[in-house]
Amino acid sequence: MIRLESVTKRYGTETVAVRDASFDIAKGDFVFLVGPSGSGKSTLLRLINRQEQPERGAVWVAGQNVNEMAESRVPYLRRNMGNVFQDYKLLPNKTVFENVAFALEVIGKPRHVINRQVPVVLELVGLAGKEDRFPEQLSGGEQQRVSIARAFVNRPLIMLADEPTGNLDPATGEGIMALLEEINRTGTTVVMATHDHRVVNAMRKRVIQLDRGVIVRDQERGVYE
Amino acid sequence: MIARIAYAFREMWASFRRNLTLTVAAILTSAIALLLVGTTFLIQRAFDNLLVQWRGDVEMIVFVRSDATPEQISLIDQTIKAAPTIIDVEKLRYLDKTQSYEEAKRIFVGDPVTLSLLTPDNIPSQFKVVPITQDPELVRSLSEQYRSLPGVQDVALAEDEFQVISTLSRFVRTVTLVMSLVLLVVAVGLIWNTIRTAMFARRREIEVMKLVGATNWFIRVPFMLEGLLHGLLGGIASCGGLWVLNSAWTNGVAGFKPGTGISSLVVPSGYLTGVMLMILAIGALVGAVGSAIAASRFLDV
Repeated sequence: MIRLESVTKRYGTETVAVRDASFDIAKGDFVFLVGPSGSGKSTLLRLINRQEQPERGAVWVAGQNVNEMAESRVPYLRRNMGNVFQDYKLLPNKTVFENVAFALEVIGKPRHVINRQVPVVLELVGLAGKEDRFPEQLSGGEQQRVSIARAFVNRPLIMLADEPTGNLDPATGEGIMALLEEINRTGTTVVMATHDHRVVNAMRKRVIQLDRGVIVRDQERGVYE
Repeated sequence: MIARIAYAFREMWASFRRNLTLTVAAILTSAIALLLVGTTFLIQRAFDNLLVQWRGDVEMIVFVRSDATPEQISLIDQTIKAAPTIIDVEKLRYLDKTQSYEEAKRIFVGDPVTLSLLTPDNIPSQFKVVPITQDPELVRSLSEQYRSLPGVQDVALAEDEFQVISTLSRFVRTVTLVMSLVLLVVAVGLIWNTIRTAMFARRREIEVMKLVGATNWFIRVPFMLEGLLHGLLGGIASCGGLWVLNSAWTNGVAGFKPGTGISSLVVPSGYLTGVMLMILAIGALVGAVGSAIAASRFLDV
Protein backbone atom coordinates (compact mmCIF):
# COMPACT_ATOMS: atom_id res chain seq x y z
CA MET A 1 0.00 0.00 0.00
CA ILE A 2 2.83 2.41 0.93
CA ARG A 3 6.44 1.98 -0.16
CA LEU A 4 9.40 4.29 0.38
CA GLU A 5 12.55 3.70 -1.66
CA SER A 6 15.71 5.37 -0.32
CA VAL A 7 13.91 8.61 0.44
CA THR A 8 15.93 11.64 1.51
CA LYS A 9 14.36 14.95 2.41
CA ARG A 10 16.21 18.08 3.46
CA TYR A 11 14.82 21.40 4.61
CA GLY A 12 17.03 24.15 3.30
CA THR A 13 20.57 22.98 2.60
CA GLU A 14 21.57 21.94 6.11
CA THR A 15 18.81 20.19 8.02
CA VAL A 16 18.30 16.58 6.97
CA ALA A 17 14.77 15.58 7.99
CA VAL A 18 14.83 12.08 6.53
CA ARG A 19 17.89 10.21 5.27
CA ASP A 20 17.75 7.20 2.95
CA ALA A 21 14.51 5.81 4.38
CA SER A 22 13.00 2.63 2.90
CA PHE A 23 10.04 0.58 4.08
CA ASP A 24 7.01 -1.25 2.82
CA ILE A 25 3.60 -1.10 4.47
CA ALA A 26 1.04 -3.69 3.35
CA LYS A 27 -2.69 -3.11 3.01
CA GLY A 28 -4.38 -3.38 6.40
CA ASP A 29 -1.18 -2.88 8.42
CA PHE A 30 -1.04 -0.84 11.60
CA VAL A 31 2.35 0.88 11.91
CA PHE A 32 3.83 3.19 14.56
CA LEU A 33 6.49 5.70 13.60
CA VAL A 34 8.34 6.44 16.81
CA GLY A 35 11.23 8.63 17.86
CA PRO A 36 11.91 11.92 19.68
CA SER A 37 10.68 15.28 18.42
CA GLY A 38 12.47 16.31 15.24
CA SER A 39 13.43 12.77 14.29
CA GLY A 40 11.47 12.96 11.03
CA LYS A 41 8.17 11.22 11.88
CA SER A 42 5.95 14.06 10.69
CA THR A 43 8.06 14.54 7.60
CA LEU A 44 7.48 10.90 6.64
CA LEU A 45 3.72 11.40 6.93
CA ARG A 46 3.93 14.59 4.88
CA LEU A 47 5.89 12.74 2.22
CA ILE A 48 3.18 10.08 2.03
CA ASN A 49 0.32 12.55 1.52
CA ARG A 50 2.51 14.66 -0.77
CA GLN A 51 2.59 17.79 1.31
CA GLU A 52 6.33 17.40 0.78
CA GLN A 53 8.40 16.15 -2.13
CA PRO A 54 11.55 14.10 -1.46
CA GLU A 55 14.91 15.24 -2.68
CA ARG A 56 15.93 11.71 -3.64
CA GLY A 57 14.12 8.39 -3.74
CA ALA A 58 10.52 7.52 -4.48
CA VAL A 59 7.27 7.32 -2.52
CA TRP A 60 4.64 4.86 -3.75
CA VAL A 61 1.04 4.89 -2.55
CA ALA A 62 -1.52 2.38 -3.84
CA GLY A 63 0.71 1.54 -6.80
CA GLN A 64 1.33 5.17 -7.82
CA ASN A 65 4.56 7.09 -7.65
CA VAL A 66 3.28 10.17 -5.83
CA ASN A 67 6.29 12.31 -6.75
CA GLU A 68 5.80 11.89 -10.46
CA MET A 69 2.09 12.50 -10.15
CA ALA A 70 0.71 15.62 -11.87
CA GLU A 71 -0.24 18.40 -9.46
CA SER A 72 -3.83 18.11 -10.62
CA ARG A 73 -4.01 14.45 -9.53
CA VAL A 74 -2.88 15.12 -5.95
CA PRO A 75 -6.39 15.90 -4.63
CA TYR A 76 -7.59 12.50 -5.86
CA LEU A 77 -4.67 10.81 -4.12
CA ARG A 78 -5.65 12.55 -0.89
CA ARG A 79 -9.23 11.34 -1.15
CA ASN A 80 -7.80 7.91 -0.37
CA MET A 81 -6.16 9.17 2.82
CA GLY A 82 -7.54 10.40 6.10
CA ASN A 83 -5.42 12.78 8.17
CA VAL A 84 -5.59 13.16 11.94
CA PHE A 85 -3.51 15.70 13.84
CA GLN A 86 -2.46 16.45 17.37
CA ASP A 87 -4.33 19.78 17.24
CA TYR A 88 -7.44 18.30 15.53
CA LYS A 89 -7.63 21.10 12.91
CA LEU A 90 -11.40 21.44 13.31
CA LEU A 91 -13.20 24.49 11.98
CA PRO A 92 -14.43 26.42 15.04
CA ASN A 93 -17.40 28.07 13.33
CA LYS A 94 -18.88 24.78 12.16
CA THR A 95 -20.81 22.21 14.20
CA VAL A 96 -19.69 18.61 14.62
CA PHE A 97 -21.97 17.54 11.79
CA GLU A 98 -20.79 20.37 9.54
CA ASN A 99 -17.12 19.68 10.23
CA VAL A 100 -17.51 16.08 9.09
CA ALA A 101 -19.85 16.98 6.23
CA PHE A 102 -17.31 19.55 5.03
CA ALA A 103 -14.92 16.77 3.99
CA LEU A 104 -17.56 15.29 1.71
CA GLU A 105 -18.91 18.62 0.55
CA VAL A 106 -15.60 19.90 -0.79
CA ILE A 107 -15.03 16.80 -2.88
CA GLY A 108 -18.40 17.37 -4.49
CA LYS A 109 -20.55 14.71 -2.81
CA PRO A 110 -24.29 15.40 -3.12
CA ARG A 111 -26.34 16.36 -0.09
CA HIS A 112 -28.22 13.05 0.18
CA VAL A 113 -24.94 11.11 0.37
CA ILE A 114 -23.69 13.49 3.07
CA ASN A 115 -26.88 13.17 5.08
CA ARG A 116 -26.56 9.38 4.94
CA GLN A 117 -22.86 8.95 5.65
CA VAL A 118 -22.16 11.57 8.34
CA PRO A 119 -24.53 10.12 11.00
CA VAL A 120 -23.11 6.64 10.38
CA VAL A 121 -19.53 7.74 10.97
CA LEU A 122 -20.48 9.89 13.99
CA GLU A 123 -22.16 6.82 15.48
CA LEU A 124 -18.99 4.82 14.81
CA VAL A 125 -16.76 7.29 16.68
CA GLY A 126 -19.26 7.51 19.54
CA LEU A 127 -20.53 11.05 19.00
CA ALA A 128 -24.17 10.29 18.18
CA GLY A 129 -26.33 12.98 19.74
CA LYS A 130 -23.60 15.64 19.66
CA GLU A 131 -24.05 16.61 15.99
CA ASP A 132 -25.03 20.19 16.76
CA ARG A 133 -22.26 21.01 19.25
CA PHE A 134 -19.44 23.31 18.30
CA PRO A 135 -15.82 22.15 18.79
CA GLU A 136 -15.27 24.46 21.78
CA GLN A 137 -18.18 22.76 23.56
CA LEU A 138 -16.42 19.38 23.36
CA SER A 139 -13.61 17.79 25.39
CA GLY A 140 -10.24 17.18 23.75
CA GLY A 141 -10.99 13.50 23.29
CA GLU A 142 -14.33 14.29 21.65
CA GLN A 143 -12.71 16.82 19.36
CA GLN A 144 -10.21 14.20 18.26
CA ARG A 145 -13.12 11.84 17.56
CA VAL A 146 -14.68 14.47 15.31
CA SER A 147 -11.39 14.79 13.49
CA ILE A 148 -11.18 10.99 13.08
CA ALA A 149 -14.77 10.94 11.83
CA ARG A 150 -13.88 13.62 9.28
CA ALA A 151 -10.83 11.64 8.17
CA PHE A 152 -12.77 8.38 7.91
CA VAL A 153 -16.12 9.52 6.49
CA ASN A 154 -14.94 9.03 2.91
CA ARG A 155 -13.73 5.47 3.76
CA PRO A 156 -10.09 6.05 2.86
CA LEU A 157 -7.57 3.27 2.18
CA ILE A 158 -5.04 4.88 4.52
CA MET A 159 -5.24 6.80 7.81
CA LEU A 160 -2.29 9.03 8.67
CA ALA A 161 -2.26 10.12 12.31
CA ASP A 162 0.31 12.60 13.64
CA GLU A 163 0.48 12.40 17.46
CA PRO A 164 -3.29 11.94 17.78
CA THR A 165 -3.01 11.33 21.55
CA GLY A 166 -0.44 14.07 22.13
CA ASN A 167 -2.88 16.51 23.76
CA LEU A 168 -4.94 13.93 25.63
CA ASP A 169 -4.74 12.30 29.06
CA PRO A 170 -3.88 8.56 29.07
CA ALA A 171 -7.45 7.28 29.54
CA THR A 172 -8.80 9.44 26.72
CA GLY A 173 -5.83 8.45 24.56
CA GLU A 174 -6.70 4.81 25.04
CA GLY A 175 -10.20 5.47 23.73
CA ILE A 176 -8.74 7.11 20.65
CA MET A 177 -6.40 4.15 20.11
CA ALA A 178 -9.31 1.73 20.41
CA LEU A 179 -11.09 3.71 17.75
CA LEU A 180 -8.08 3.67 15.43
CA GLU A 181 -7.78 -0.08 15.95
CA GLU A 182 -11.42 -0.52 15.05
CA ILE A 183 -10.87 1.49 11.89
CA ASN A 184 -7.82 -0.66 11.15
CA ARG A 185 -9.99 -3.77 11.45
CA THR A 186 -12.18 -2.53 8.60
CA GLY A 187 -9.12 -2.99 6.35
CA THR A 188 -7.83 0.57 6.52
CA THR A 189 -4.05 0.90 6.68
CA VAL A 190 -3.08 3.04 9.69
CA VAL A 191 0.23 4.88 10.01
CA MET A 192 0.62 6.75 13.28
CA ALA A 193 3.50 8.95 14.38
CA THR A 194 3.89 9.14 18.17
CA HIS A 195 6.32 9.44 21.04
CA ASP A 196 3.82 8.05 23.53
CA HIS A 197 5.49 4.94 25.03
CA ARG A 198 2.39 3.68 26.75
CA VAL A 199 0.32 3.60 23.61
CA VAL A 200 2.96 1.79 21.58
CA ASN A 201 3.74 -0.77 24.27
CA ALA A 202 0.07 -1.52 24.87
CA MET A 203 -0.70 -2.23 21.22
CA ARG A 204 2.20 -4.44 20.14
CA LYS A 205 2.06 -3.42 16.49
CA ARG A 206 4.81 -2.93 13.93
CA VAL A 207 7.23 -0.19 15.06
CA ILE A 208 9.49 1.88 12.79
CA GLN A 209 11.91 3.88 14.93
CA LEU A 210 13.62 7.03 13.69
CA ASP A 211 16.64 8.83 15.03
CA ARG A 212 17.69 12.12 13.48
CA GLY A 213 16.03 11.19 10.19
CA VAL A 214 17.44 7.67 9.95
CA ILE A 215 15.41 4.48 10.38
CA VAL A 216 17.19 2.59 13.17
CA ARG A 217 14.63 -0.17 13.76
CA ASP A 218 11.72 -1.79 11.92
CA GLN A 219 10.15 -4.48 14.07
CA GLU A 220 6.92 -6.50 13.96
CA ARG A 221 4.95 -6.53 17.24
CA GLY A 222 7.47 -4.10 18.72
CA VAL A 223 7.60 -1.87 21.80
CA TYR A 224 8.77 1.73 22.15
CA GLU A 225 11.89 0.87 24.26
CA MET B 1 -22.82 19.47 -10.00
CA ILE B 2 -25.65 21.57 -8.61
CA ALA B 3 -24.26 20.98 -5.12
CA ARG B 4 -20.89 22.35 -6.27
CA ILE B 5 -22.38 25.46 -7.85
CA ALA B 6 -24.52 26.08 -4.78
CA TYR B 7 -21.46 25.62 -2.59
CA ALA B 8 -19.40 28.10 -4.64
CA PHE B 9 -22.06 30.79 -4.45
CA ARG B 10 -22.75 30.25 -0.77
CA GLU B 11 -19.05 30.55 0.08
CA MET B 12 -18.64 33.57 -2.16
CA TRP B 13 -21.48 35.34 -0.38
CA ALA B 14 -20.23 34.46 3.10
CA SER B 15 -16.76 35.75 2.32
CA PHE B 16 -18.16 38.81 0.58
CA ARG B 17 -19.98 39.89 3.73
CA ARG B 18 -17.14 39.11 6.09
CA ASN B 19 -14.71 41.72 4.72
CA LEU B 20 -17.05 44.63 4.29
CA THR B 21 -14.57 47.51 4.59
CA LEU B 22 -12.11 46.16 2.04
CA THR B 23 -14.93 45.04 -0.18
CA VAL B 24 -16.47 48.51 -0.26
CA ALA B 25 -13.08 50.06 -1.01
CA ALA B 26 -12.49 47.65 -3.88
CA ILE B 27 -15.93 48.25 -5.34
CA LEU B 28 -15.65 52.05 -5.06
CA THR B 29 -12.25 52.12 -6.72
CA SER B 30 -13.38 50.01 -9.61
CA ALA B 31 -16.53 52.12 -9.89
CA ILE B 32 -14.50 55.33 -10.16
CA ALA B 33 -12.05 53.79 -12.62
CA LEU B 34 -14.87 52.47 -14.77
CA LEU B 35 -16.72 55.77 -14.60
CA LEU B 36 -13.66 57.46 -16.00
CA VAL B 37 -13.34 54.87 -18.75
CA GLY B 38 -16.97 55.40 -19.68
CA THR B 39 -16.61 59.18 -19.60
CA THR B 40 -13.62 58.90 -21.93
CA PHE B 41 -15.75 57.08 -24.47
CA LEU B 42 -18.64 59.52 -24.15
CA ILE B 43 -16.40 62.58 -24.51
CA GLN B 44 -14.75 61.00 -27.50
CA ARG B 45 -18.08 60.28 -29.11
CA ALA B 46 -19.29 63.83 -28.45
CA PHE B 47 -16.18 65.31 -30.06
CA ASP B 48 -16.61 62.90 -32.95
CA ASN B 49 -20.05 64.40 -33.62
CA LEU B 50 -18.45 67.77 -33.85
CA LEU B 51 -15.59 66.60 -36.02
CA VAL B 52 -17.44 64.09 -38.14
CA GLN B 53 -17.47 66.35 -41.17
CA TRP B 54 -13.70 66.85 -40.98
CA ARG B 55 -12.83 63.19 -40.65
CA GLY B 56 -9.98 61.84 -42.80
CA ASP B 57 -7.70 64.91 -43.06
CA VAL B 58 -10.42 66.97 -44.69
CA GLU B 59 -9.26 70.59 -44.58
CA MET B 60 -11.82 72.27 -46.77
CA ILE B 61 -15.51 71.69 -47.48
CA VAL B 62 -17.21 73.20 -50.50
CA PHE B 63 -20.96 73.42 -49.83
CA VAL B 64 -23.10 73.29 -52.97
CA ARG B 65 -26.46 75.07 -53.11
CA SER B 66 -29.36 72.64 -52.88
CA ASP B 67 -30.79 74.05 -56.11
CA ALA B 68 -27.54 73.74 -58.10
CA THR B 69 -27.85 72.09 -61.51
CA PRO B 70 -25.87 68.95 -62.39
CA GLU B 71 -23.80 71.05 -64.83
CA GLN B 72 -22.80 73.44 -62.05
CA ILE B 73 -21.83 70.51 -59.79
CA SER B 74 -19.67 68.93 -62.46
CA LEU B 75 -18.01 72.31 -63.12
CA ILE B 76 -17.11 72.59 -59.42
CA ASP B 77 -15.78 69.05 -59.52
CA GLN B 78 -13.59 69.82 -62.53
CA THR B 79 -12.33 73.06 -61.02
CA ILE B 80 -11.21 71.32 -57.84
CA LYS B 81 -9.53 68.55 -59.82
CA ALA B 82 -7.72 71.17 -61.94
CA ALA B 83 -5.22 71.78 -59.12
CA PRO B 84 -3.75 68.28 -58.57
CA THR B 85 -0.53 69.66 -57.09
CA ILE B 86 -2.43 71.30 -54.24
CA ILE B 87 -5.43 69.00 -53.86
CA ASP B 88 -5.30 65.23 -53.30
CA VAL B 89 -7.62 64.26 -56.18
CA GLU B 90 -7.72 60.63 -55.08
CA LYS B 91 -9.22 61.54 -51.73
CA LEU B 92 -11.73 64.07 -53.03
CA ARG B 93 -15.22 62.95 -51.97
CA TYR B 94 -18.62 64.19 -52.99
CA LEU B 95 -21.47 63.73 -50.50
CA ASP B 96 -24.86 63.95 -52.18
CA LYS B 97 -27.91 65.32 -50.36
CA THR B 98 -28.85 62.01 -48.74
CA GLN B 99 -25.35 61.46 -47.38
CA SER B 100 -25.08 65.05 -46.21
CA TYR B 101 -28.38 64.67 -44.39
CA GLU B 102 -27.11 61.56 -42.58
CA GLU B 103 -24.07 63.51 -41.48
CA ALA B 104 -26.19 66.44 -40.33
CA LYS B 105 -28.15 64.14 -38.05
CA ARG B 106 -24.98 63.63 -36.05
CA ILE B 107 -23.87 67.23 -36.10
CA PHE B 108 -27.25 68.50 -34.90
CA VAL B 109 -27.96 65.64 -32.51
CA GLY B 110 -28.42 68.01 -29.60
CA ASP B 111 -30.16 70.66 -31.67
CA PRO B 112 -33.43 69.15 -32.92
CA VAL B 113 -34.80 72.56 -33.92
CA THR B 114 -32.11 73.14 -36.53
CA LEU B 115 -32.28 69.55 -37.66
CA SER B 116 -36.02 69.79 -38.23
CA LEU B 117 -35.46 72.69 -40.64
CA LEU B 118 -33.28 70.46 -42.80
CA THR B 119 -34.62 67.89 -45.22
CA PRO B 120 -32.79 65.70 -47.72
CA ASP B 121 -34.14 68.15 -50.33
CA ASN B 122 -33.05 71.51 -49.00
CA ILE B 123 -29.70 70.48 -47.53
CA PRO B 124 -26.55 71.53 -49.39
CA SER B 125 -24.47 68.72 -50.86
CA GLN B 126 -20.73 68.99 -50.33
CA PHE B 127 -17.24 68.30 -51.64
CA LYS B 128 -14.74 67.14 -48.98
CA VAL B 129 -11.30 68.36 -50.00
CA VAL B 130 -8.04 66.88 -48.70
CA PRO B 131 -5.03 69.01 -49.62
CA ILE B 132 -1.57 67.67 -50.50
CA THR B 133 0.24 70.89 -49.79
CA GLN B 134 1.41 71.81 -46.30
CA ASP B 135 0.91 75.50 -47.02
CA PRO B 136 -2.40 76.74 -45.54
CA GLU B 137 -2.21 79.96 -47.59
CA LEU B 138 -2.44 78.02 -50.84
CA VAL B 139 -5.58 76.23 -49.60
CA ARG B 140 -7.03 79.55 -48.50
CA SER B 141 -6.48 81.18 -51.85
CA LEU B 142 -8.14 78.21 -53.57
CA SER B 143 -11.13 78.56 -51.28
CA GLU B 144 -11.55 82.19 -52.39
CA GLN B 145 -11.55 80.99 -55.99
CA TYR B 146 -14.18 78.29 -55.33
CA ARG B 147 -16.41 80.70 -53.50
CA SER B 148 -17.01 82.64 -56.72
CA LEU B 149 -18.11 79.58 -58.73
CA PRO B 150 -21.81 79.37 -59.65
CA GLY B 151 -23.74 77.00 -57.40
CA VAL B 152 -21.34 77.24 -54.49
CA GLN B 153 -23.06 78.26 -51.29
CA ASP B 154 -20.06 78.50 -49.01
CA VAL B 155 -16.53 77.18 -48.46
CA ALA B 156 -15.46 76.17 -44.95
CA LEU B 157 -11.87 75.76 -43.83
CA ALA B 158 -10.87 73.40 -41.00
CA GLU B 159 -8.22 75.86 -39.96
CA ASP B 160 -10.89 78.40 -39.12
CA GLU B 161 -13.38 76.12 -37.46
CA PHE B 162 -12.17 72.96 -35.87
CA GLN B 163 -8.42 72.74 -35.64
CA VAL B 164 -8.48 73.84 -32.02
CA ILE B 165 -11.25 71.44 -31.07
CA SER B 166 -9.49 68.59 -32.80
CA THR B 167 -6.32 69.23 -30.81
CA LEU B 168 -8.32 69.63 -27.62
CA SER B 169 -10.16 66.39 -28.30
CA ARG B 170 -6.90 64.50 -28.74
CA PHE B 171 -5.52 65.97 -25.53
CA VAL B 172 -8.61 65.14 -23.49
CA ARG B 173 -8.65 61.61 -24.87
CA THR B 174 -5.01 61.00 -23.91
CA VAL B 175 -5.41 62.38 -20.41
CA THR B 176 -8.61 60.51 -19.57
CA LEU B 177 -7.34 57.31 -21.12
CA VAL B 178 -4.12 57.36 -19.11
CA MET B 179 -5.97 58.23 -15.92
CA SER B 180 -8.52 55.48 -16.37
CA LEU B 181 -5.81 52.93 -17.13
CA VAL B 182 -3.97 53.88 -13.94
CA LEU B 183 -7.19 53.64 -11.93
CA LEU B 184 -8.03 50.27 -13.49
CA VAL B 185 -4.66 48.95 -12.37
CA VAL B 186 -5.36 50.30 -8.89
CA ALA B 187 -8.74 48.56 -8.94
CA VAL B 188 -7.14 45.25 -9.91
CA GLY B 189 -4.67 45.74 -7.06
CA LEU B 190 -7.37 46.45 -4.50
CA ILE B 191 -9.45 43.47 -5.55
CA TRP B 192 -6.31 41.35 -5.44
CA ASN B 193 -5.64 42.52 -1.89
CA THR B 194 -9.24 41.96 -0.78
CA ILE B 195 -9.21 38.41 -2.08
CA ARG B 196 -5.81 37.76 -0.54
CA THR B 197 -7.15 38.93 2.83
CA ALA B 198 -10.25 36.79 2.42
CA MET B 199 -8.11 33.75 1.70
CA PHE B 200 -5.87 34.47 4.64
CA ALA B 201 -8.90 34.74 6.91
CA ARG B 202 -9.94 31.30 5.77
CA ARG B 203 -6.55 29.60 5.71
CA ARG B 204 -7.64 26.91 8.18
CA GLU B 205 -10.52 25.92 5.97
CA ILE B 206 -8.30 25.95 2.91
CA GLU B 207 -5.78 23.73 4.68
CA VAL B 208 -8.49 21.22 5.61
CA MET B 209 -9.91 21.35 2.11
CA LYS B 210 -6.55 20.53 0.61
CA LEU B 211 -6.00 17.66 3.03
CA VAL B 212 -9.33 16.01 2.32
CA GLY B 213 -8.70 16.27 -1.41
CA ALA B 214 -10.62 19.28 -2.69
CA THR B 215 -9.28 20.30 -6.09
CA ASN B 216 -7.54 23.64 -6.41
CA TRP B 217 -10.29 24.86 -8.71
CA PHE B 218 -12.94 23.96 -6.19
CA ILE B 219 -11.11 26.06 -3.58
CA ARG B 220 -10.43 28.94 -5.97
CA VAL B 221 -13.78 29.39 -7.66
CA PRO B 222 -15.66 31.04 -4.75
CA PHE B 223 -12.84 33.57 -4.35
CA MET B 224 -12.75 34.29 -8.06
CA LEU B 225 -16.52 34.73 -8.09
CA GLU B 226 -16.14 37.16 -5.20
CA GLY B 227 -13.65 39.26 -7.16
CA LEU B 228 -15.87 39.09 -10.21
CA LEU B 229 -18.75 40.37 -8.10
CA HIS B 230 -16.62 43.29 -6.84
CA GLY B 231 -15.84 44.30 -10.42
CA LEU B 232 -19.39 43.83 -11.57
CA LEU B 233 -20.84 45.88 -8.69
CA GLY B 234 -18.28 48.60 -9.46
CA GLY B 235 -19.45 48.45 -13.06
CA ILE B 236 -23.11 48.78 -12.09
CA ALA B 237 -22.34 51.75 -9.83
CA SER B 238 -20.37 53.47 -12.59
CA CYS B 239 -23.19 52.83 -15.09
CA GLY B 240 -25.51 54.69 -12.75
CA GLY B 241 -23.01 57.52 -12.45
CA LEU B 242 -22.54 57.63 -16.21
CA TRP B 243 -26.26 57.83 -16.80
CA VAL B 244 -26.65 60.68 -14.33
CA LEU B 245 -23.69 62.55 -15.83
CA ASN B 246 -24.94 62.14 -19.35
CA SER B 247 -28.50 63.20 -18.53
CA ALA B 248 -27.25 66.31 -16.77
CA TRP B 249 -24.98 67.13 -19.71
CA THR B 250 -27.69 66.57 -22.31
CA ASN B 251 -30.10 68.82 -20.41
CA GLY B 252 -27.42 71.45 -20.01
CA VAL B 253 -26.60 71.45 -23.71
CA ALA B 254 -30.23 71.98 -24.62
CA GLY B 255 -29.96 75.40 -22.95
CA PHE B 256 -27.18 76.58 -25.29
CA LYS B 257 -27.86 78.75 -28.29
CA PRO B 258 -28.25 76.53 -31.38
CA GLY B 259 -25.44 76.64 -33.91
CA THR B 260 -22.63 77.26 -31.44
CA GLY B 261 -21.24 73.77 -31.93
CA ILE B 262 -21.84 72.85 -28.29
CA SER B 263 -25.10 71.28 -29.35
CA SER B 264 -23.16 68.64 -31.26
CA LEU B 265 -21.60 67.38 -28.03
CA VAL B 266 -24.46 65.02 -27.25
CA VAL B 267 -24.32 61.25 -27.15
CA PRO B 268 -27.25 59.19 -28.49
CA SER B 269 -28.76 56.82 -25.91
CA GLY B 270 -27.98 53.76 -28.02
CA TYR B 271 -24.29 54.57 -27.79
CA LEU B 272 -24.60 55.17 -24.05
CA THR B 273 -26.13 51.70 -23.63
CA GLY B 274 -23.24 50.22 -25.59
CA VAL B 275 -20.71 51.98 -23.36
CA MET B 276 -22.53 50.77 -20.24
CA LEU B 277 -22.45 47.15 -21.39
CA MET B 278 -18.79 47.50 -22.20
CA ILE B 279 -18.13 48.93 -18.72
CA LEU B 280 -19.91 46.02 -17.07
CA ALA B 281 -17.75 43.65 -19.10
CA ILE B 282 -14.54 45.52 -18.21
CA GLY B 283 -15.59 45.56 -14.55
CA ALA B 284 -16.16 41.82 -14.50
CA LEU B 285 -12.84 41.30 -16.26
CA VAL B 286 -10.95 43.53 -13.80
CA GLY B 287 -12.48 41.62 -10.89
CA ALA B 288 -11.76 38.24 -12.42
CA VAL B 289 -8.14 39.15 -13.21
CA GLY B 290 -7.43 40.59 -9.75
CA SER B 291 -8.95 37.65 -7.89
CA ALA B 292 -7.50 35.04 -10.25
CA ILE B 293 -3.99 36.32 -9.58
CA ALA B 294 -4.63 36.27 -5.83
CA ALA B 295 -6.35 32.87 -5.87
CA SER B 296 -3.56 31.17 -7.74
CA ARG B 297 -0.77 32.78 -5.74
CA PHE B 298 -2.11 32.41 -2.21
CA LEU B 299 -3.51 28.91 -2.26
CA ASP B 300 -0.54 27.68 -0.23
CA VAL B 301 -1.54 29.38 2.97
